[in-house]
Amino acid sequence: MLANDDIKRWAREDEEARRIRREKANWDFIEKQPPKIKAALKYFIERGDRYVAAKIAGLSLDEFDEIRLKANIPVVI
Amino acid sequence: MLGVIDACFIIDWCRYRYRGLLEKFFSTLFVHEETLEQLKSERSITYISELLAKGILRLYPWSHREEDEFLKLRSEIASNSRIPSLERPDILCLIMAKNLNATLLSENVGIHRVVEFHKEYGNVIVWTALETLENLVYKGLLNISSTNEFLRYVKEYEYDTGHIFKSSRLENSLRRLKSWLEK
Repeated sequence: MLANDDIKRWAREDEEARRIRREKANWDFIEKQPPKIKAALKYFIERGDRYVAAKIAGLSLDEFDEIRLKANIPVVI
Repeated sequence: MLGVIDACFIIDWCRYRYRGLLEKFFSTLFVHEETLEQLKSERSITYISELLAKGILRLYPWSHREEDEFLKLRSEIASNSRIPSLERPDILCLIMAKNLNATLLSENVGIHRVVEFHKEYGNVIVWTALETLENLVYKGLLNISSTNEFLRYVKEYEYDTGHIFKSSRLENSLRRLKSWLEK
């Protein structure tokens, strides 16, 4: 079972990671992308989940990762 | 030493300038065939093919018993909203690592969280690239004389792969390395 402290720590970690992704992202690049790619990149910034983001974009994991790099969105781990 | 490698780790590590160090560290790395199916880019397929050809990387013989284990673990994970979505191949990797008593190489936050909360999987060792770099130092494959030198390797990895390691993870790693350097 998860303790409340763990859940709070995870929430803090998620927020820190989200803040870093938002700050580093190249928003001009993101806004110029086709709708599915743009939505996927924005989802990745909010959730940091490459799997779901790749599915939104309709790409494989590593194809999405190439675009993530171009958009300068870091994987925060 | 045995390892299990997941798709995200492969995708990231194959971009790293010193990627060849991984095969010097592990005697055998295992991969599930469903992990291989996740890889589509020339870069990651080339890297994984080279490891397979060298005999460092081997396909894991998945069993019916492990399929039952997957179904059980999947339903336990699905009920926890704080765990980011986990693809089937990544859950398979965790089960493989547990059953092989191998180190799991994974950059997946969800996998790290499962290991934190799940009793049955709590003993599985999961490394991100940061802990992998740290252990390359302990094994003498990356030479450093100070934690600042280690930070240079970390920065190179972050630059090559578009990663940022969380401050708490980095601090823990630097603390262990400092203690090791003082011995």
